[in-house]
Amino acid sequence: MSEFLFELNMLDSLLLLSAVTVAIAILCRVEYISGGVVTLLYLAQLVVVGMMISAGGVFSSHLTPQLFGYELGWLLDGLGLYFTLITVGSALLATLYMAGEWGRRYREQGKSFRALQSLLALNVFTMQLLLASSDLLSLFISWELASWAAFALMALSGGKGLKAALHYMIYAFSGAMLVFAVVAWIATTAVTAAYQLDINGAGILQFSSVAELMQQGIFTIPEQLLMLTLLLIGFGIKMGLLPFHLWQAPAYALSIGPAGAFLGAISSRLGLFAIIVVLFKIFGSITDGSILQSSFGFEFASVTPKTLLAWIAVATIIFPTFVAMRQNDARHLLAWHGIGQGGYMLLGLVMMDSLGSAGGLLHVFNHATYQAALFLAVTSVIYRTGTADLNRLGGLVVRMPLSFMTLLIGIIGLAGLPPMNGFVSKWLVYRSLLDQGELLLFVGAVIGTLGTILSVYKLIHNMFLGSLRKEHEEVREVSWSMLTPMLILSALILLTGLFPGIPLQWVAQGLSAVGLPVAEFNLGGVMADGGSLDMVIVSMVLFSGFGVAALIFYFVGGKSKRVNPLDNYAGGHFLYASNRYHYSNNFYAGLMHLIKPWYKNTFQRLERVVVTLLELTAESLSRLYMRPHSNQLALIIVVLLLW
Amino acid sequence: MKEIKVENRREGNILSRVFDELNEFCRARSLFILHYCTGCGAIELPPVMTSRFDMERLGVQPMVTPRQADILLITGYVSIKTLKRVMLTYEQMGSPKYVIGICSCTVNGGMYWQSYATAKKLDEYMPVDLYIAGCMPRPEAIISGLRSLIRNIELGESNNWKKYYENYDYYLGNQQKLFGDEWQTPVDVIGEAEHYGLVGEGTYGEHTEILQRVQQPLKPLEMRL
Amino acid sequence: MDTQIFTEISLSEILVELLLMPVIAFLVGLVMVLWMRKIGARVQRRIGPPLFQPLYDVVKLFGKKTQVSHGVVHDIGIVMAMGGYIAAETLLPVPGMNGIAVYGGIITLTYLMMIPSLGLALGVGQCANPNGSIGISRALTAMLAYDIPFVIIVFGVAFHHETTNLVEIITQQQQAGIASWGAVQNPLLALAGLATLQGMLGKQPFEIYIAPAEIATGPMVEMSGKYLGGLFVMQAFQLYTAAVLYVSLFLGGGESWFELLAKSFVVVSIPMMIAFVFPRYRTEDLVRLFWKWPVMIGLLGVAFVG
Repeated sequence: MSEFLFELNMLDSLLLLSAVTVAIAILCRVEYISGGVVTLLYLAQLVVVGMMISAGGVFSSHLTPQLFGYELGWLLDGLGLYFTLITVGSALLATLYMAGEWGRRYREQGKSFRALQSLLALNVFTMQLLLASSDLLSLFISWELASWAAFALMALSGGKGLKAALHYMIYAFSGAMLVFAVVAWIATTAVTAAYQLDINGAGILQFSSVAELMQQGIFTIPEQLLMLTLLLIGFGIKMGLLPFHLWQAPAYALSIGPAGAFLGAISSRLGLFAIIVVLFKIFGSITDGSILQSSFGFEFASVTPKTLLAWIAVATIIFPTFVAMRQNDARHLLAWHGIGQGGYMLLGLVMMDSLGSAGGLLHVFNHATYQAALFLAVTSVIYRTGTADLNRLGGLVVRMPLSFMTLLIGIIGLAGLPPMNGFVSKWLVYRSLLDQGELLLFVGAVIGTLGTILSVYKLIHNMFLGSLRKEHEEVREVSWSMLTPMLILSALILLTGLFPGIPLQWVAQGLSAVGLPVAEFNLGGVMADGGSLDMVIVSMVLFSGFGVAALIFYFVGGKSKRVNPLDNYAGGHFLYASNRYHYSNNFYAGLMHLIKPWYKNTFQRLERVVVTLLELTAESLSRLYMRPHSNQLALIIVVLLLW
Repeated sequence: MKEIKVENRREGNILSRVFDELNEFCRARSLFILHYCTGCGAIELPPVMTSRFDMERLGVQPMVTPRQADILLITGYVSIKTLKRVMLTYEQMGSPKYVIGICSCTVNGGMYWQSYATAKKLDEYMPVDLYIAGCMPRPEAIISGLRSLIRNIELGESNNWKKYYENYDYYLGNQQKLFGDEWQTPVDVIGEAEHYGLVGEGTYGEHTEILQRVQQPLKPLEMRL
Repeated sequence: MDTQIFTEISLSEILVELLLMPVIAFLVGLVMVLWMRKIGARVQRRIGPPLFQPLYDVVKLFGKKTQVSHGVVHDIGIVMAMGGYIAAETLLPVPGMNGIAVYGGIITLTYLMMIPSLGLALGVGQCANPNGSIGISRALTAMLAYDIPFVIIVFGVAFHHETTNLVEIITQQQQAGIASWGAVQNPLLALAGLATLQGMLGKQPFEIYIAPAEIATGPMVEMSGKYLGGLFVMQAFQLYTAAVLYVSLFLGGGESWFELLAKSFVVVSIPMMIAFVFPRYRTEDLVRLFWKWPVMIGLLGVAFVG
């Protein structure tokens, strides 16, 4: 035992720390201490991850149990490290947010802070296991663990949240079944293949060995395509890819504030991680379509998995974004955007050139920062006003200026405008689409961005701008324990927008781990043929522009007087405090006049059809075995099966 | 009302005087007009704006809200109900602001002289810079009126807007006579006078005392942490 | 290619350019405002404003003695609206000056031009006037409408020249003469560009978000004194940016200032001539129109880009 302890490498200590965090979160009954301790433990985890990133390379764990004769292994490379960093970072900030006043109020409401804390820690632990998995079996096992942990965290809010979590569970379970089917298929075939290829049988399910099996042609191309499709559906469900996205928005929106921030920031990106593994580590040759062309006689280039995935990604960008525009609840609006932003990541990655893949992977980090910031800001507003209904708020900027600032920086990031970080990753994706001449994909991606701008302006306008409601006169800014993580996130959004070179460095490690090309970058951005981007210079000029404008505005222009909101133009009418002078409902009325008939709820209907079909099948089957003499029927079936 | 001498003295050093001169020069040449069309005079404005007389060549152009406007153009009789809106509109305009009364009705009530519901003399309620009399004045008269206003502004002689701050008690008193003691607009005129250093001898008085007693507070919403 | 440009520029030179470019843009923009008003006057058979009218307006507005502010965000919004364009001008290469164009490129410029609009939207939001909010909601909808053909054009041009670097795009057109101008090579894109220009400048028939008689000039409803002055400055910048960008993409930029300005004034005249003889479209009709014709023409244009 002591020997084992001494040999702990950094991955072991990270997993151990994470397990300890879970244990402490569960065991520590003094809840006001546990908040601080768990935060510190996350900080320690973050330090370990930071050390691993600066050390570089691949870390393999000593944890190598055997299961059914297969060796399970955990191994963290650049890609896993990148996702681990985001996971631990968002967990740290979410925990910091709930460690102080928020947690106190939560306990006072008679809810179990311990359950929230430990489920969050459990999520982090299982996600780390997933991100470090090195073979199909460990991937599947940790995938299941992470799904259940996420379910528990979502279900904790009860009520509608529980219903949404169950919705998630059904989706996740069917996805996991597909994944399991493929894993079992590969496992059963691989054992015999291992003898032929002279590979170590116990390690046959490792990603590299599986990729080897695929290349050796153990499975035919149609078989491989089937496997790829099943895996993509299975993992795509978690990511909220169309058409399997319906579960995500309610599940994230209705989970408890900081937990929602954590889930929204990173949880569904695990699906992206698994898709990257599948696409580039296992089925690399199918993804780019090279094998397809050589193995099928006809021209196959027009419909490669790459183009198909790119179109799914663009659909994932556009539809959820425009659904988000119609939401009247801030959390639902953000959660729908979370689905849409996932599309940019996949779109960038399947472009498979140096700019696109860097953009796609960088967007994971950027999205985590602004999504967490936005969710926390909205949670703060809910904490003070009790609602996130966009028609019941307004004018809060004078009462919660720092939350406003966080939300503002967050929405600029989400909309992908300079100088925030979201712009850099989207710029990379656009550039890659431009280089490859993908006009329609490009236009689709930009439509998503424009839709996002509309929808986030509605968000900030209806919550923070416009007129302050009478009942919110006495609202105060949230406490510093809640503001600190929000401000840290705002600073991160701004800094990684100014210096995208820092996260690009981690992205480069991740890309080289899966064998994708890496773009040439510097601190300020990317240098590429046919147009570069240097955010340091662009943002410096932008801020000096603001500075010059401020000088003109404040010194050249005369004095101004702050006035009461009632002193407002109303066509000569007198305004009174009792009348609301505010515009929020059906914010884009003109646009909706045109596009409202285009919202057809197709996916909800599709889902209902599938559910009805399943119910029908189950019903008729139950009729079958509920009959008298059902035991004889069962006997016949068993005999038939055996035969 | 005590007649207050309009001061033409320039303040400050040479540089700021040059700036003031420049300001006045530009102010005289750029006048945004808000026409409060209360009566028949409104019909004379379209020819003033359009190709026949084209007031844009004088730098005068129509604007929509009081915030943007420099000139408040009142084109006819002002009923008491209307006067409340006119007062609000006037107070919402940014200074320096000018009031032009068109038609005889704004001078002395005109043909509504005997009406109980009409405010007869506009300059009892707000300082009027220029009257263009007539029933109704022709567009030529309006253009020539605008020209003389421009000349006055350029000479620095049209500072009536200051009177409203410096003599607020007088104007408020007349308004209270018509509208009753409960009268107030959402514009904090006294606060503005204090903020911009425009308090004069007649700013406070018995009528402002009444106002301050009955007034709903008009403090701006300060941002607070 | 790029690395050479990076090293060639000295710091002092770039600082001078960064100062000069916005100043020139502002002055030219003011003349364009005058040009626009003069054209409007002539179309309506009026004489129109005197030569320095735009300058008088701006100076007067900034020299107002009293003006209302509805809060810090109202102020910051105007600062962002002006500052965003001041910065954007340095990304737009003009004869003799490239500013920081090589570090940004056309995609960056496109998105940087949204910062002023966002600032304005925030400022208007804080005014707590529903007229303003309705105006912004319509303006953003209009942006959604005209930006889709606009990005198709940007894509087509960048794809044609195989670069997003505006300096490179202009140089390529100038070196090979008129036959290589965007307007000659991709006339359909240039046509779609004109329609987009009309929407981008918010001129009739696409000025539903101003709608003076209906929503009291929408975003400008609560702007007095220097706030309105800031928006006048923004309008001058906007005219300049749109015109020069169009000239850079389709008319070969300018080898001299005279050439650039002559082309730019011709370009801004077109929307003005159209504007003053049209009423306005409703929001949904505007969106439908932009998503139909300019998009179709643009897509067709890109299909012909070799």
